[in-house]
Amino acid sequence: MTSLKELQARFQAGILTGDDTILDEVKDSAREQRSVLFGVYRHAYVARLAEVLANDYELLHTYLGDASFAKLAKAYIDANPSDQRSARWFGRHLPVFAKDTAPFASHPELGEIAALEKALADAFDGPDATPLTVADLAATPAEDWPRLTLEPHPTAIRLTFTSNAADIWSALKGETQPPTSTRLPEPQALIVWRQGFMARFRPLAAEEAMMWNEAAKGVRFGVLCEMVAIFAGEDGAEVRAATYLKDWIEAGMLAGCRVEPAHAPLEGAPLEGAGNSASVRPVSQ
Amino acid sequence: MTDHKPPYLGFGLGLRPQHYQEILSGNPAIDWFEVISENYMIPGGQPLRILEQIRERYPLVMHGVSLSIASTVPLDTEYLTALKRLADRVEPKWISDHLCWTGVHGVNLHDLLPVPYTQEALDHVVDRVSQVQDFLGRRLTLENVSSYVTFGQSEMTEWEFVTEVANRADCWLLFDVNNVYVSAFNHGFSTDEFLHGVPQDRIVQFHVAGHSHEEGHIVDTHDHPVCGEVWDFYREAVTHFGPVSTMIERDDNIPPLAEVVAELDIARQIAREVQEGARLTAAE
Repeated sequence: MTSLKELQARFQAGILTGDDTILDEVKDSAREQRSVLFGVYRHAYVARLAEVLANDYELLHTYLGDASFAKLAKAYIDANPSDQRSARWFGRHLPVFAKDTAPFASHPELGEIAALEKALADAFDGPDATPLTVADLAATPAEDWPRLTLEPHPTAIRLTFTSNAADIWSALKGETQPPTSTRLPEPQALIVWRQGFMARFRPLAAEEAMMWNEAAKGVRFGVLCEMVAIFAGEDGAEVRAATYLKDWIEAGMLAGCRVEPAHAPLEGAPLEGAGNSASVRPVSQ
Repeated sequence: MTDHKPPYLGFGLGLRPQHYQEILSGNPAIDWFEVISENYMIPGGQPLRILEQIRERYPLVMHGVSLSIASTVPLDTEYLTALKRLADRVEPKWISDHLCWTGVHGVNLHDLLPVPYTQEALDHVVDRVSQVQDFLGRRLTLENVSSYVTFGQSEMTEWEFVTEVANRADCWLLFDVNNVYVSAFNHGFSTDEFLHGVPQDRIVQFHVAGHSHEEGHIVDTHDHPVCGEVWDFYREAVTHFGPVSTMIERDDNIPPLAEVVAELDIARQIAREVQEGARLTAAE
C-alpha cells in the first residue's frame, strides 16, 4: 500500500504538475471518471489563486482586462507555488514577477501598479503605532533639535517609479480612463503609509525624498538640514526641512522621535551614555 | 483535556468584511460570529480593530483553513504560535479547522484535501490532533470536508474515520451539513449513514452552505444560497443531534447581510419546528 506520505506527494504533484500517477490511487464514482473528479482539485487550485490575485491586484486587473490578467496570474501561479498559510501573502511577489518576467517586463507600469497596490495593502494591515504629534515634538527643547532622530511609521513604504503608474492607478481608482503609459523623464519617488485606518500614498519631491530616506536611516535632524542645504541651496534650508517634518507629522507618517546623546558612538563601538536609547542605530556623521 | 463541551450559541454567521459596517452600525440579531483565523493573523490595522469591536458585542469562534492536520510534514509551530496568539486576543468559544491536509514539502495548495480512511492515516491524525491540543491547551474542533475522490486503499467509511479521530484524540466535531450532502452525492453513500455514524456528544457546531451542481458531481463552492435538499438534511441533523450552534457559511458571491440573515432565519425556523415537533411527540 502506498504510504500516506507518498500518497500526499503524488496528490500534490497531480495538482501542481499535471502528473497522473495519483489516478492509480483514486476510484471512479458511479457517475464520473476519476480524472474528472481529480480535475476538480486541479481546477480549483488555479481558479482559487487567480481569484486571490484578482482581489489583491484589483486595479491591475482592471487595467489589463480579464484575458491579459489571467495570463499574468497563470504565469505567476505556475512560477510561485504558495508557501504561505494565508492566501493574504500569496501574491506578494507579483510586483517583482511582473517587472522581471517577459512579456510583462516590457511594460514597466504593470509591475509598478502592482507595487503600489501591494504597498497599500501592506500599509492597510501593517503594524499599529501611535503617530508622532506636533505636541510631542514641541516638548523637545530647541537646543536638542539638531540631535533629533525620527522614526517612520511602521507602515511607511518608499517606492520609486520609472513610469506614470501612480497616475494610471489614480485614474483607475477614480473609474476614469487611465492615461497612456509613459516612461518618466526622472524617476518618481512615492511614499505609502497608513493614516488612521486609511492606507494612502503621495509623491515626494526629490529633496523631500532624499530627506525622508536619510531620516529613515536614523540621520539626525541637524545633519538632515545640512543635507537639504547641499541638495537645493542653503537659503531657507532649515525652513524647508522643518516644513517637510511638519507635513510628515500632520500626515501621521512618523511614529516617534528621540534626542540622541551629544556624542554619537562610532559604528561598532560600545554605546556610552545612551541611557535607554540603546537600540538607536549608529549615526553616520 | 479537561475543558468542558462548548456552550450552545444559537444561530450565527461567518464574519465577512463586506458586512463589517452593517454589523457595527446595525447590531443585527445574529447570535454569534465565526471568524476565519488566517484573515486576522496580520500585524495590525482596521481588520483587527473591527474584530475587537465585534468581539465586544458578540460571542466569536475561530475557524482555520490551513492547520493541515492530516499532512505528513511536521506541524508548523510558527502557524500554531500565531493561532494561539490570536486565540488569546479573541478568546473564542472554540477553535476549529478541517479534517484534511493542505499541502506538503513547503507548499500550501489552499484547498481542503481528502485523506484516505486507513489505519495509518488515523494514527497519524490522532497523534497530530493531540499535539495541537497540547500546544493550544484546549480541545480542537474538526470539520468534515467535501471531497471529490475516494482512495482505493481506504479501509473504513468517512464517518467511521471521523468518529475514531474524535474519540481517540478527544476532540470536538463541526458537522458540516452541506459537506456531508456533497460527499454523499459524489461518492454514492447515504447522508443518513453519516448522520447516524458520528458521535452526537462530540458535535459542537453545524455549518450550512450552498454548492454548485455539475453534471455528475457537486462542487462545494459556498457561493449559492442553501438549497432545499440541504435544508431537508439540516432538519434531519437537528432532529437527530438536538440543538447545535448553527452557522450559515458564505465565502463567495457574498450577498447583502439581510439575505444571509434571512437564510439564518430559515435555520431558526427549522430548529424551532423540530423542537416543537419533539415536544408534541413527548406530550403524546
